[in-house]
Amino acid sequence: MIASVVATLNDDGVAYDIIAAIASLPNVEVGAINGNVRRIPITIDSPAANSLEEITRRIQECPGVAFVDVVFVHFETADAESSTL
Amino acid sequence: MNDDLPSNTNAVQRRNFIKASAMAAAAAVAGGTSYALPILADDPETGISWDKAPCRFCGTGCHVQVGVKDGNVVAVAGDKNAEVNKGLLCVKGYHVGSALYGKDRLTKPLLRDGDSYREISWDEAIKTIADRVEAAPERFAFYGSGQWTIPEGYAAQKFMKGGLSNNHIDPNARLCMASAVTGFLATYGVDEPAGCYDDLDACDVLIMWGNNPAEMHPVLFSRVIDRRSRGEKITLIDISTRRTRTTEACQHYLEMKGHGDLAIANGIAHLLIKHGTYNRKFVESFCSFKAPDDDNPNLHGKVISFDDYQQMLEPYTPEHVEELSGVPAAQIRMLGDVFGNPDLKITSLWCMGMNQHTRGTAINSMVHGVHLLSGHFGTPGDAPTSLTGQPSACGTVREVGTLSHALPGGRVVTNEEHRQQSEKFWNLPPGRINPTPGYHTVKMWESFCTPTDKGGDIGTIWVQVTNPGHTLPNLNKLFNPKGDNKAGLEDKFLIVSEVYPTATTRLADLILPSAMWVEKNGLVGNSERRTQQWFKMVDPPGEARDDCWQTIAVAHELFKRGADSMKDRDGRFLFEVRGKHDKPVPVWEWEHYYDVNVDESLFEEYRQFTRLKHKDLAPYSEYVKARGLRWPVVETDGEWRETHFRFSEGFDPYVEAGKGIQFYHSSTNDDRAQIWFNPWIAPAEVPDEEYPLMLCTGRVLEHWHSGSMTRRVPELSRAMPGGYLEIHAADAAAYNLSNGDKVQIESRRGSLEIPIWIDGRGQPPRGTVFIPFFDETLLVNDLTLDAVDPFSKQPDYKKSAVRIRKV
Repeated sequence: MIASVVATLNDDGVAYDIIAAIASLPNVEVGAINGNVRRIPITIDSPAANSLEEITRRIQECPGVAFVDVVFVHFETADAESSTL
Repeated sequence: MNDDLPSNTNAVQRRNFIKASAMAAAAAVAGGTSYALPILADDPETGISWDKAPCRFCGTGCHVQVGVKDGNVVAVAGDKNAEVNKGLLCVKGYHVGSALYGKDRLTKPLLRDGDSYREISWDEAIKTIADRVEAAPERFAFYGSGQWTIPEGYAAQKFMKGGLSNNHIDPNARLCMASAVTGFLATYGVDEPAGCYDDLDACDVLIMWGNNPAEMHPVLFSRVIDRRSRGEKITLIDISTRRTRTTEACQHYLEMKGHGDLAIANGIAHLLIKHGTYNRKFVESFCSFKAPDDDNPNLHGKVISFDDYQQMLEPYTPEHVEELSGVPAAQIRMLGDVFGNPDLKITSLWCMGMNQHTRGTAINSMVHGVHLLSGHFGTPGDAPTSLTGQPSACGTVREVGTLSHALPGGRVVTNEEHRQQSEKFWNLPPGRINPTPGYHTVKMWESFCTPTDKGGDIGTIWVQVTNPGHTLPNLNKLFNPKGDNKAGLEDKFLIVSEVYPTATTRLADLILPSAMWVEKNGLVGNSERRTQQWFKMVDPPGEARDDCWQTIAVAHELFKRGADSMKDRDGRFLFEVRGKHDKPVPVWEWEHYYDVNVDESLFEEYRQFTRLKHKDLAPYSEYVKARGLRWPVVETDGEWRETHFRFSEGFDPYVEAGKGIQFYHSSTNDDRAQIWFNPWIAPAEVPDEEYPLMLCTGRVLEHWHSGSMTRRVPELSRAMPGGYLEIHAADAAAYNLSNGDKVQIESRRGSLEIPIWIDGRGQPPRGTVFIPFFDETLLVNDLTLDAVDPFSKQPDYKKSAVRIRKV
């Protein structure tokens, strides 16, 4: 699965340090920042359908990250992962 | 090997293209740029075609772009052109597409045969329902939800009230926002918020009354957090019975006891009057005062003077409010100062915390009251706004009126003029509509679960788009008896239209496989009066079919059998839909259902109802072009224009020039809103020696309501696999409990075994425990109370006395 998210940073942290922490996460790519330096575009190229949520959670838990919103999700190959109760 | 190279290369290129598109979308949203995104055009590179739809889940009404390839939904993107979400989605957006593809989708009609089911044809299924209705139309009930699309709810409403002369139709929204409805009616004389989400961009102070938008309406909350990240000053105040993710972002946390909100609202009003900081001009110009009429309890109450109001508030000093609510007097004074400051813009948000409350109508009207008393009303950023939890709780339940007392467009069955208007729009014989309200949700299920010879006069219930076997309160009284062979309910018959097996299908006699979301056309109405439309994009699996078609097919089966109830005054079928050359289309036959746009036909008929209460809707074609429009939508200079703020001159086209503010549906017929005094009253059940803890229930970020869709998504199930009981560390220590230990929790109504979580997602105070309700293997509603608000008939899921013991 491929997804992109936007991380909104707190207004009191050093953006560079926060972005570096996000970029160090596996399967994460931080995009170019246009305009608002407190909103960071990120792609997640998930090796398995079950790790998108986990990676998103880890971005959310990076110090200085206030919120993570989802923008785009491509889950064409995830069909086999859907399940029953 | 070489043969594989081109396809591998293509796959890599394609993956890179999708990744680049994903980044482009995020960069555009993050940067606020306005260029067209390549991904949102039909692109031969990916083979994906895109179209718009509102998200399937909550009541926020986020618009998504849905990517379809080879007949399957394969991608979803936040819709940058949508004002609601501006290109963003919450984490449930990861799964709004894949929720269609759980492996256990229901694909065939199933009829109970002893302890198992046998597959039957749709023809047999429709005839089975028609047989039940024909045998005893007055004992038939329809139970739906705020997940009915507008046309689906409208069809069910017309079938019942316009066809069968039967008002036993109610939605699960009775369980989530009925008190918001009665609060609006008691205050303004008409339902639904005056403000909208634009208030979140303009307010200086955001107060959340028992509301956790960081988890339940994340896109709205992130809109506020984004303002703060841009350096704007906005004060967030959380009034709640437990700490949540929302609390973490707030400058002020006011931890209250159950029903403490009643005292807090009175405490604010007390201080505004005592300090002379209420808005005298606003109050004298636009408001009157009311108090409950104890001799004849009703939504109109009794008129009181300002002096009476002041006197009634006298006892609610900050110190007394502290005693009643548990909130320190200093924090009550802080709230009084905030509301007393005319330079601030204040928006209040609330949802289940105020609605699932045996004094829900009272607290809703009181929060409106503090806004009116302080004059924080009617300009952008100054608004009391209730949120909803389902995509069309407003559009279908409140506007179409699928409640047991209501008719479309804000009408009620008890009003002769309203019945006559509805009969005219539906071209019915005079007198067809029954003037007696039907059973509300709790009464409907209580009757269904009571043997016929003991007065249980509901014999058949047809459930669509909801899961009452999971979400009704006090399940051991209101649902579970259906599965008890000794309960004397052999003659009762439960029909369930669903997409997946649920706690409700478990006891169904007939299960009908339904289409969901973009497998069908739809229109919904979100929390801010916004009506949204989408087209069918993919086929449903197997023999699953639209709920609306199911209703029309049963109606036609009855019509075919000669039932007068399914004929209009000219003898025509109630759901006649005309196509090209004005010829009727047999839409009751599935193969012809999509020969014509049934949604458009029903919506255009329904639209006639919407003008009485100035909730005007535009023609269907306008919604096809837009990402939703907020009513009233009024044609001006050849353009259909939406309304951002109701009752406010310059925004609302129905406010007369020079009036400033005009509550034009005032219950006192003088353009005034009502400021209510209501006393603090204890919850219906409070802890005692036998049951010493207070149980609160609620939702979690990962699962939407009863989890029937989201629990099928492995990622979400891994992130939040099962139910748990949150408990304060000191209480856990007192019971000798460690994280993960199992306890038996018991109320006067039921019990279950459940693991505990100390300092978990939320942190309840001492004496309170919390259980989320999403897990169908741990049905917390076996424990909850079925006491209801006297006006809205909404139950209180937030306050049940319980006891626990380690197992």
